[in-house]
Amino acid sequence: MMRRNWRGAGRSVVCLALLWLGACADLPGRPDEADRPIRPNDVKSVDVLYGQNCAGCHGAEGRLGAARPLADPLYWAIVNDAEVQGVVARGVAGTAMPAFALSEGGTLSDAQIAILSDGLRTRWSGPDSAAPGLPTWAIQPGQNGKRGRVDQGAQVFASRCAVCHGGKGEGGIAPGSLVDASYLSLVSDQALRSAVLFGRTDLGMPDFRGGSGEKPLSPDEIADLVAWMASHRVAYPGRPYNESDAAGVGEDGP
Amino acid sequence: MDRKEENPEPVEQAAAPGRLARIGAWFDLRLRISDQIWPELAHHVPRSSASFWYVFGSATLLCFMVQLVTGMCLGLVYSPSAAESWASLEYLNYQQPLGWFMRSLHYWGSNFMVALMTIHVVQVFLFGAYKYPRELTWVVGCFLFLLTLAMAFTGQVMRFDQDAYWGLGIGASIAGRFPFVGGIVVDLMLGGPIIGAPTLSRFFTLHVFLVPALLLLLIAVHLWLVLKVGINEWPMPGRLVTRERYLEEYHQLVAEDGEPFVPNGVQKDLVFSGLVMVALVSCAAVLGPAGPNGPPDPTLIDTVPRPDFWFLSLFAVFALLPAYLETPLILIAPPILFLLAALLPFYSGTGEKSWKVRPGAWILVVTVFVCLGTLTWLGIRSPWSPDMAAWSGTPTPVAMVRGRTPLELQGALIVQSKQCRTCHSLGGEGGERGPALDDVATRLTQDQLIHQVLQGGGNMPAYGKNLSPAQVKALVAFLGTMHPPGQLPARDASRVASSAAPVAGVSGGR
Repeated sequence: MMRRNWRGAGRSVVCLALLWLGACADLPGRPDEADRPIRPNDVKSVDVLYGQNCAGCHGAEGRLGAARPLADPLYWAIVNDAEVQGVVARGVAGTAMPAFALSEGGTLSDAQIAILSDGLRTRWSGPDSAAPGLPTWAIQPGQNGKRGRVDQGAQVFASRCAVCHGGKGEGGIAPGSLVDASYLSLVSDQALRSAVLFGRTDLGMPDFRGGSGEKPLSPDEIADLVAWMASHRVAYPGRPYNESDAAGVGEDGP
Repeated sequence: MDRKEENPEPVEQAAAPGRLARIGAWFDLRLRISDQIWPELAHHVPRSSASFWYVFGSATLLCFMVQLVTGMCLGLVYSPSAAESWASLEYLNYQQPLGWFMRSLHYWGSNFMVALMTIHVVQVFLFGAYKYPRELTWVVGCFLFLLTLAMAFTGQVMRFDQDAYWGLGIGASIAGRFPFVGGIVVDLMLGGPIIGAPTLSRFFTLHVFLVPALLLLLIAVHLWLVLKVGINEWPMPGRLVTRERYLEEYHQLVAEDGEPFVPNGVQKDLVFSGLVMVALVSCAAVLGPAGPNGPPDPTLIDTVPRPDFWFLSLFAVFALLPAYLETPLILIAPPILFLLAALLPFYSGTGEKSWKVRPGAWILVVTVFVCLGTLTWLGIRSPWSPDMAAWSGTPTPVAMVRGRTPLELQGALIVQSKQCRTCHSLGGEGGERGPALDDVATRLTQDQLIHQVLQGGGNMPAYGKNLSPAQVKALVAFLGTMHPPGQLPARDASRVASSAAPVAGVSGGR
């Protein structure tokens, strides 16, 4: 009797085990389709593409990175798709932004760059995108028939920027010099223009519209500011010590 | 010695003959197998050897049988061709009903087999079971150990993914080190100078035909020896093994205090095997199969290949060896170590068996496992591996962005875009080849930082030709901010003394 009972129990255990296996769609060990490896150029997820290629410099959430924040509705309102995709594909000469297109030695296909640009625009666009009369992103040499004027730029700087950046751009509330020769040699005029246009709202610097109650910078004023800053570029930037300091020490090489 | 217990349960045949028993009897009347096997199975073994310490060998055998069955099932679907194998693994994982479970069982079966085999070896070693007259059992066991590791390695190649591909590359590089015949060995192994279409066929043949055949053969010899020479009795301190008297003493022991292997001795083996089976199925069901990770394509360089668990210690050794030790340690040391192990009963074949009076044995086992454990842990962490994805995928810590000057932010960008973080971590993220940069300013003055960046040193390459003066200045300005809030950055005392003005290049006090 005893033996028979045990056998019956054994059989039901085996049956249960088989049933469990049969219904094992939910077993935790079952490989998840989502984890299925795909070739790098087949990745289509904006999250993954941004996380792997952009987050290093532009920040995990598109802000508070070393480079320009992208989680900025104004940026997406002013910069069009062709411009974004051009920047990603070919990089920006004279800055730290590298080229990502396969054709330029990068790792992203054109389709992936388009997915990134569309996806980030969807994610970070805001009501600003509808605002009319925004300045262009690209520097237009013939704007209003003239290039930016250095002396005008100095005046605009004194009235609009010096509060934070110091009278000569040497730094104030906002730390560090804007007209440091090394800094200027590492950013293009386009990057300076972007800095004026979009500010670094994540770090407390307003965009070209200024703080509340202020008048936005006009396109001319923006061009003038860029021209004034760019006029501080020097032929041989990157001397180890500052000019004044080097003079004091008297051991500085060229 | 009171582990042994009486077993009053009667032998199975007492039950009334059921249908199955009658069918069995019909066959046995004609085949006459039970006459041959029953005496062998029922042969007497020392009562003391019916212990839970003696179950690891049979559990290893069970794992081998699981591997045979699951391996055959996988062989029905797996395609041993370089072009199709990866797709067939994907098919098993995602399309074939329970294909993933079969892969999982096979993977965990191999892990269990290596683990149980290792425990078995340690038990045999500590119990002195390799001593006279069981020398040959030990030698055959050593070869079984090698063959099992060969199965593990070739099995890793069957999972033809990026790990397998680069693991093969390592294997071929090792083979290529043989003097004079290196090239020929590599050709034999890979079917050519590089991993190509014939490579997988060769490893498939090894994994499915050659090595299993050898394993089966040697397992048969191993079991035959266990049967014929008898299971090692429980070692007692003071009971010395001598060539003159051991056999006599053993037979006397079995005659006086023995019991039939079936059913008495085998009970604990069966219980443990059942537990192993439950653990194996649970691991397979809960933890799932390994990989395959990315496709085995050498153009996909964005990969971090790692060997399977049992080879992580070797992986660590290969990574950490100084160059002048590579050939001696990779080619010469392993055969010597294997010979030392395999020939153990020939230089230590008599005397004490008990681990209680063989401290050397303990020390050796502990040393080996501490070394292997440490190396495996290093292999898991592999701090020597650069973090190739950090430059674009690991953000600069926000605390290192806030409050920085425009020049310093450009420096932070250079840390990312010039891929400093491949080797240097910020905020605990990034490579570990070089020192973390979080407090580098407390260690190096501005001049030292410039020197280090331009000229390298201490295993760091020189970046003087890859960075413009302005980039160096920005980078050093950023690095100069890398000090804890309460701790000043390192300063060059001579510069402070020679200049009335404070050193402007040092951005201290923030």
